[in-house]
Amino acid sequence: MITTTALTKSYGKTPVVRDVSLHCEPGTITGFLGPNGAGKSTTLRMIVGLAHPDHGTSTIDGRPFVELPNPTRVVGTLLDPSAMHAGRTGRATLKIAAQMAGMSTDRVDHLLNLVGLTDAADRRVGGYSLGMRQRLGIAQTLVGEPEVLILDEPANGLDPEGIAWMRGLLRDFADRGGTVLLSSHLLHEVQATVDHLVVISRGAVVASGPLSELLASSSLLVRTPDPEGLARALRSAGIGYRPGPDNTFTVDVHDGRITPEMIARAAVDQQVPLTELRQSDSGGLEQLFFSLTAATADHSQEAAA
Amino acid sequence: MTSATMTSPVRPVDAQSPGAAFPAIPFSRLLRVEWGKATDTRAARWLLALVAASTVGLMLAPLLAPSRIDQTYTSYLRFAAVGLSILLPIVSILTLTSEWSQRTVLTTFTQEPRRIRVINAKVTVSLLLAGGAAVFGGLVTAAGLGVAAATGRELDANLNAGVLVGYLLFVLLSVATGVAFGALLHNSAAAIVLYFALPIAFALLGRASTSLGQWVDSGTTFDWVLNGEWSGHTPQILATVILWVALPVAAGLVRTVRREIN
Repeated sequence: MITTTALTKSYGKTPVVRDVSLHCEPGTITGFLGPNGAGKSTTLRMIVGLAHPDHGTSTIDGRPFVELPNPTRVVGTLLDPSAMHAGRTGRATLKIAAQMAGMSTDRVDHLLNLVGLTDAADRRVGGYSLGMRQRLGIAQTLVGEPEVLILDEPANGLDPEGIAWMRGLLRDFADRGGTVLLSSHLLHEVQATVDHLVVISRGAVVASGPLSELLASSSLLVRTPDPEGLARALRSAGIGYRPGPDNTFTVDVHDGRITPEMIARAAVDQQVPLTELRQSDSGGLEQLFFSLTAATADHSQEAAA
Repeated sequence: MTSATMTSPVRPVDAQSPGAAFPAIPFSRLLRVEWGKATDTRAARWLLALVAASTVGLMLAPLLAPSRIDQTYTSYLRFAAVGLSILLPIVSILTLTSEWSQRTVLTTFTQEPRRIRVINAKVTVSLLLAGGAAVFGGLVTAAGLGVAAATGRELDANLNAGVLVGYLLFVLLSVATGVAFGALLHNSAAAIVLYFALPIAFALLGRASTSLGQWVDSGTTFDWVLNGEWSGHTPQILATVILWVALPVAAGLVRTVRREIN
């Protein structure tokens, strides 16, 4: 379990992280989502004691990370796959991690196999691709059989197959009771992986909750060959609507008070045929995230100008 | 054994406060890991080989120039000391800095967040390496003396405990100075350059003003240690040890604890 309360940090006068509170439960994967420079990495570094917050606290299972007697037996951390000794082999890197954790180095072969690096194990990490370093980093997080994983942009450098592989690995880890916190700057990258989302922008949390709720569309789309009939049917059922292009209507769900079934029944009552009835494409989160990314892009252009 | 971990829970259900269930990392384990890190890379092995080569190379001096160099056990041993002190401090600089340059501190300090313990282990490893190197230097000296005796030279067997202590202290102080530069600067290139450049600057200062120089020029004072010339020099020797070893190590520890790791 990972908990942070009101983590806050500035570099000089620039606020980097503002009042970030997170709560990650065992058995879940939490996606920490935000544009580049939003404060994700700094937050993760504060959780594992590499950066010091100005205010706020963070704990793992109720204790500050830096007070864990042997942290890698509790938390597997991957913050930067390029931060590995280029002159050491993949196998030697994992052996050091196993020794530190007090685990048998017999475990190293199993982990190399698990992340698909058996053939590259005795090559120097300096010659690894980013994807291979990412895999080695994942193996390193698992060395101490932890219950918590903290991963910064773990999908960076992985091909689609690698992302699918990692998704399976993390899902399995969470299903066995583990807690996962991972960051990403790409919504579609984590959409299929995470249960919970925390969206951060310019250092502050702007949205958080279960993925299904955040992704739920706030409106329904209805299509009919008889638009006048459907308008009549919706009016008589007391359902508000906005006519759209190509014989479509958009209906606001009003936080779930209006359901697809109510629309279908209204149409049946007036004998109006429907050819389509579904959630609108423009998910609220997707739009929110797009606007955040766009805002940041504008901001950086201003700064550059 | 390990394949079972992929189907079993990440923690047994009855585990209470799992974070506390694992004992702290013993210092002996940190020491073993840091010893491995200091010696397992190609660069480290090359450097250690060069330390050995330069020690053997310096031993050739008293062998090849018997007319100009005292043919005594002590002078042979001092050539070994000088040979060791050229490159061995670089090994200890890299032991302290390479994790910063390679950015592996990002991993190391999440494995052991009590950063001072990690630095203590690295310092201990450096001093153990210095001890090992001193023994190696002793063996090279013995070999050199053996060769000299075999060529029929008369050698003055003037070794005593004081000479051996001076030799060992000189090697340890050379390495400790390297440790101090690495502990403070966190950057391999800067530490190595300054390790060579600063003492030259201070030696020049010493030449300009002998009375001031003997309080800051470790080149002079460490030679006194090697040659056992403590009498009348003890305060100066201690002053340079404080300036070149104790202060930078202390400042380096403070910097290491406070530094944000990016």
